[in-house]
Amino acid sequence: MADDAIFDKKKSHRAKHAGRKAEKKKKKNQVDQSNLTARQRNPKAFAIQSAVRAERQFRRREDVISKKQHIPQVDKTPLDPPPIVVAVVGPPRVGKTTLINNLIKSFIKTNVTNTNGPITIVTSKKRRLTLIECNNDINSMIDIAKCADLVLLLCDASFGFEMEIFEFLNICQVHGMPKIMGVLTHLDMIKNAKKLKMTKKTLKHRFWTEVYSGAKLFYLSGILHGEYLRNEIKNLSRFISVMKFRPLSWRMTHAYLLADRLEDITNQENIRKDPKVNRDVVLYGYVRGVPMMKDSVVHIAGVGDMKISELSYLPDPCPLPNSEKKRHLMERERQIYAPFSGVGGIVYDKDAVYIELKGSHSHKQEDEEADEKKALLKNVVETTETVDEQMQEIGLKLFSGGAVIYPDMVKDDEYLQHSKTQDSSDENESGDESDFENDSGIDQSEKETKTSSKLPWDNNSGSEEEGDDDDDDDDDGKLNTETKGSKNESNSDDSDSEKSETEEEDYNTKWKEKLSEKATMAYFERQKTSKNIMKLVYGDFEIGNKTKQTKEREDTDDSDDEEIGGLFKKVTSSQKKKHMEKEQLDHDECSFFYSLDKPNLRDWTKDTYKQIIINNFVTGKRSADEDAEELLQLDDASDGDDEMYGDFEDLETGEKHVNAEKSADASKEELGSKRKADNTKSEILNKKLKLKAKFDAEYDNPDDHRIKGDHSYYESLKAEALKQSELNKSVFENLDNGLRIEVEGFRPGLYVRMLFKNMPSEFVTNFDSSYPLLIGALNMAEQNIGFVSCKVKKHRWYKKILKTNDPLIISLGWRRFQTLPIYSKIEDDMKCRYLKYTPEHVTCNMHFYGPITPQNSGFLALQTVNNASNEIKQLGFRIAATGSVNEINKSTQIMKKLKLVGTPLKIYKKTAFIKDMFTTTLEVAKFEGARVKTVSGIRGQIKKALNKPEGAFRATFEDKILMSDVIFCRTWFKVDVTKFYAPVVNLLLPIGNKNAWEGMKTKGQLKRERNIKHEANNDSMYTDIVRQPKVFKPLVIPKALQKALPYRLKPKAKTMTLTDTITKEKFSNRIAVIKNPHEQKVSNVMKMLKTNFEKKKEVQKELTSEKMKKYKKQQEEVEWRKLKRQKEMKKKICRHLSKMSNKSQKQM
Amino acid sequence: MPAILHNDVLLYKGSNLFRQRLLLSTLSGRAIKIEEIRSTHDDPGLREYEVNLIRLLDKITNGSRVELSETGTSLYFQPGILVGGQINHSCCTQRGIGYYLEVLLALGPFCKEPLNAVLQGVTHHDLDVSVDKIKSAALPILLKFILVDDGLELKVVRRGAPPLGGGEIVFKCPVRRHLRPLQWSKWGLVKRIRGVVYALRVSPTMANRVVETAKGVMLNFLPDVYINTDQCRGPNAGKSPAFGISLLAETNDKTFYCAESKSVEAGTGDATLPEDLGRECALKLLDEIHRGGAVDSAFQWILALWMALGQKDVSECIVGPLSDYTIKFLQHLKEFFGVMFKLEVLSSDDDEMSSDDEEKTSSAQKVKMTCIGIGYVNISKRTL
Repeated sequence: MADDAIFDKKKSHRAKHAGRKAEKKKKKNQVDQSNLTARQRNPKAFAIQSAVRAERQFRRREDVISKKQHIPQVDKTPLDPPPIVVAVVGPPRVGKTTLINNLIKSFIKTNVTNTNGPITIVTSKKRRLTLIECNNDINSMIDIAKCADLVLLLCDASFGFEMEIFEFLNICQVHGMPKIMGVLTHLDMIKNAKKLKMTKKTLKHRFWTEVYSGAKLFYLSGILHGEYLRNEIKNLSRFISVMKFRPLSWRMTHAYLLADRLEDITNQENIRKDPKVNRDVVLYGYVRGVPMMKDSVVHIAGVGDMKISELSYLPDPCPLPNSEKKRHLMERERQIYAPFSGVGGIVYDKDAVYIELKGSHSHKQEDEEADEKKALLKNVVETTETVDEQMQEIGLKLFSGGAVIYPDMVKDDEYLQHSKTQDSSDENESGDESDFENDSGIDQSEKETKTSSKLPWDNNSGSEEEGDDDDDDDDDGKLNTETKGSKNESNSDDSDSEKSETEEEDYNTKWKEKLSEKATMAYFERQKTSKNIMKLVYGDFEIGNKTKQTKEREDTDDSDDEEIGGLFKKVTSSQKKKHMEKEQLDHDECSFFYSLDKPNLRDWTKDTYKQIIINNFVTGKRSADEDAEELLQLDDASDGDDEMYGDFEDLETGEKHVNAEKSADASKEELGSKRKADNTKSEILNKKLKLKAKFDAEYDNPDDHRIKGDHSYYESLKAEALKQSELNKSVFENLDNGLRIEVEGFRPGLYVRMLFKNMPSEFVTNFDSSYPLLIGALNMAEQNIGFVSCKVKKHRWYKKILKTNDPLIISLGWRRFQTLPIYSKIEDDMKCRYLKYTPEHVTCNMHFYGPITPQNSGFLALQTVNNASNEIKQLGFRIAATGSVNEINKSTQIMKKLKLVGTPLKIYKKTAFIKDMFTTTLEVAKFEGARVKTVSGIRGQIKKALNKPEGAFRATFEDKILMSDVIFCRTWFKVDVTKFYAPVVNLLLPIGNKNAWEGMKTKGQLKRERNIKHEANNDSMYTDIVRQPKVFKPLVIPKALQKALPYRLKPKAKTMTLTDTITKEKFSNRIAVIKNPHEQKVSNVMKMLKTNFEKKKEVQKELTSEKMKKYKKQQEEVEWRKLKRQKEMKKKICRHLSKMSNKSQKQM
Repeated sequence: MPAILHNDVLLYKGSNLFRQRLLLSTLSGRAIKIEEIRSTHDDPGLREYEVNLIRLLDKITNGSRVELSETGTSLYFQPGILVGGQINHSCCTQRGIGYYLEVLLALGPFCKEPLNAVLQGVTHHDLDVSVDKIKSAALPILLKFILVDDGLELKVVRRGAPPLGGGEIVFKCPVRRHLRPLQWSKWGLVKRIRGVVYALRVSPTMANRVVETAKGVMLNFLPDVYINTDQCRGPNAGKSPAFGISLLAETNDKTFYCAESKSVEAGTGDATLPEDLGRECALKLLDEIHRGGAVDSAFQWILALWMALGQKDVSECIVGPLSDYTIKFLQHLKEFFGVMFKLEVLSSDDDEMSSDDEEKTSSAQKVKMTCIGIGYVNISKRTL
């Protein structure tokens, strides 16, 4: 056995030290295995085992990925975004104000006594919040939902969700869902722990079904010393400060503003004269959404459409801290800005400084103050303030008696004067020529300003630019004198002296000598035009508000200012300009480069000119980074390096040479030398390296060998959006601020001041800061009014159905307005069929007359915005319908079914005259050829009007109709939409009554109010129907027909048909027979005998039947006995037979 | 001359740039009033071709209101909603079809229904871009903005020369909800030259003679030159005799430059030599190539329009020197839409520095136009 054990012992493994396997292992161990994934270490284990399963896995993975993908949107958030609007919404008495106070306290550690209107605070280094409370008015709720980024939805847990909350959620859904966080308060009112838990759970789930499952719901468990628990508030504020937001489509296409300050700058004298005079109002706020254009029309929710008459930006009253490297906010950087609540102290404005005098100085009191005192105070304040832009306005005031001059106007003056002098020097030139000259004049004067990289018409820039502006002026002045000095020189010399440094100029002048055509000259002059092309194009425009005023003044003052010596030149030049404009006035329009004049062209075939453009062809020489030859050389150079120093394999020995470091060094050297030699080459090399890295990344991706789907389309879309957003951010970055605003608009995040002229006085006198002041910019064509077609669905919680032409209040876009809708249904042929009422649970079409709004914008409809409690209680839920806009048009096509009824007047064979369908021949003429139909289904056509009974016509039918037939004509009738559009102007209503806006009333409402009873139409009353039985005439068969009928159907002889009646008649005429006594006796006896006999017969019959029964029974018995006997006999025989057979067997 | 704004109505004076104003008014939905239309002329008031343009605008819109004064010297125009669809219009022969077609091209993408317009009139006119030029140089620009070509088409059914016309074209244009922002700063090098020479009611040799000289000039620069002759006969030749040429230069970055010339109107006295014509056109094309830029100089304005009407994103294009017409158009864009372009003159010397000194003068001034679109959406289109 021991031997066995010895033999059984396995040979120990001897690892190979040489050969193929050893080499393999060595190679494997060379790579550091520690940081490899399992898949990399052991790829075989992860190989595909089953193709089907792999396919399924792949498909699932792709499904998951594609579910995550969204259409990439261009990110439009600005670099310094506006404060986030946090709205606190909820029914009354849930603790909204307490929550705001606590949040402010937790963020900036100060107590705010009264919270009114939006409160802006700095919460972190990159984030500001605007807190706003929403009062219990559906108008405010709508406006808040349109501008809030984050909504804190407060709910009294002891009561549960109230209708307002559901209404608000519905409003949000329609106007673009902001982020919503629920907050449960009054949790301490529920004492029972188990009940508390249950309430929390039910409320949470109800909230989830409304918002989305998993939506955050906060619990504020109770109030301690009139405040919520500090920990819970802290948590809430943390959540707010890390919240991320999704762009909403409406707000990504419209600029808007939540005004946080209002000033009335109307002349006090005017107000004193007439307190109802229209006011000039200034509103302030942060621009949000997209950049706001200067001369756009805005809608102030609750007031109406307004044109901004002045828009400018101010320094941020609540700025973000400048970017120093530190973790926390300094105490002084935690700012708060809330003018309506009286927080914030001194406020610098464009033309005034406001000092908050702690409550004794509200707007209303200001109005009541004496004019003189106020003016005095204002003057003092104004003189003390040093806002930079004031300089320009001061200039204006100095000359206000006569002509008006601004610093920039002086500038303008000079350039005009300059061009004038030039013009006068060559007056005999043609109109077009002088036009051009003017242009070149501009660029001459601009040249200098450009060199100092500043644009002279920029007024809105900050204080440091003011000095620069002055410098510019000086420069201009110098330039002016220079040019004046040289004005005797010829035109060409003039331009020569300016740009003589450049070769180009030389060339051009040489060239000019050869050709004398003025038009051609003009063209070439234009070719080397001005560096400052902006001025050439937009020079006529006023940029900045002040120049606008100057222009206007200039225009108006032109005539009467001629005597003033200082402005004498200016006036003449403007006259000149006018003359020029007049000449241009009636030019033929032509979009060619040389519009009307035909210049002599350069002869490009000549060698000198040929050289100029030869490189614009593929056959020409290319620029360095495109030239194939140079690129090839470069390639060769780098490849050569690779070959010299790079990896290569010696095929003969099988040895590999790796020389990475060396090659890197070499390439560095190479790069350096190249850079010295040629900048572009190094760039190209860089580019190449980048490309190579990209290629490597794409193709030798070592870590993961999984099969991947192709997402290149999505990736490219994403990259495109990203590129666009980067471009959007970067392209105007270096631009001067004033010009940037001109080009880009007032970008979101800027604090702007907008002046509105001619505001209704009620807006100021009835101002209530607890109502949000939402100013939404309107895009192109949105200020127009037209017919809007939309799809709409009655809200399933709304108790009534909606009736066509009942006034409806619609919240669409920025607006809230009342209008008269018409409901319709779109048929299969796209015809809108009129509906009197909205259908239940399905969408229908709705047309109304209202503001033009882009397609797909959502809207909601209310029947009343009145907050009268009894009405709300009656309705329950106030949102009547929701929907979205489909189409906009300037006319509508809604058809109503119409059945015209007529009766025959006279009938021929297939033709009939019909009356009562129309009233005039004209109407008939309109319906010629229309199809008609009788009740019995005979179809026909209207032919022509008759002249006798007015409105009767001739019609043909497919068969003869009857006089009793009723003829129908089925047509469509166009229903017009009433042109009624009334904005809800709730902000103009008196304070405390703002939620009682009432627009147009329905007829029903009016009748109910005035107690008018409707008198019923007797024809419409329901009465019992009395029907006479129908009497038919006897059937008469004509003789000819009778003959033709078979005998069976022929009416039979009179005897047959009339037997009954005839017999009756026969016997009725007979004489009665009276018998004599004997006969009577005989007949009696006979009768008696007969009865006896019958009785006898009857008895006998009975007897026989009994007898028969008896006999039958007997017979049956006999039969049965017989059968029995026979059976036994059979039995016997059978037994016998069987015995017999047995015997015979025994024998066998 | 800036407009005066009065009650939200833009007030202009003079018949100059009549078409631009009507076009922009229709797009922006803002009412305009034009006064003093040729009020001092012997023949005051609107010309026939201008009235014809108003007719055309009326056909493609719904709810437009036009009020003309008795003398025709003042006009109030309140635009309606762009409808588009099937249109048949016979254009006035005082101007070419191009005058009307450019308007349709600019409005086309913003109609309610895809535009399918049949225009009759003068296809080639001295004052207006010819239909050939629009077809070859303007449609590619629109294609850049709408990206997908679903039914953008311009077909020249018949050619017609002034004074009598008799030409016919069919223009189809798809509708879009909005245009894409466009960055177009490279236009490449001219790689091929194509052309069409048409001869209407004149001897076919005329066409061949034009081809010969035009080709002769162009072959100095590029070997890939191919010029077609379109000898029209019978009803296809319109009603008046004429001949002309349009040359097209295509770059390797899909930019098209086009130049054209035509013979003078018959009956005016002097005649045009076909050789002169061919040479003139070739020189015009070279001039256009010299000017360079991403689009042909005649279509700078339409590029600017579509850039301005884009979404609220930055568009950036480089064009050759701005023509007067474009400058006026930019001013009008500012008035109607409030959009202002950032215009920069590119110093072309940078690239040229390395090459010889002579060539420094070579390329014409280039202008970089940058703007943010106004976020214009097609409000006419129906959504379902």
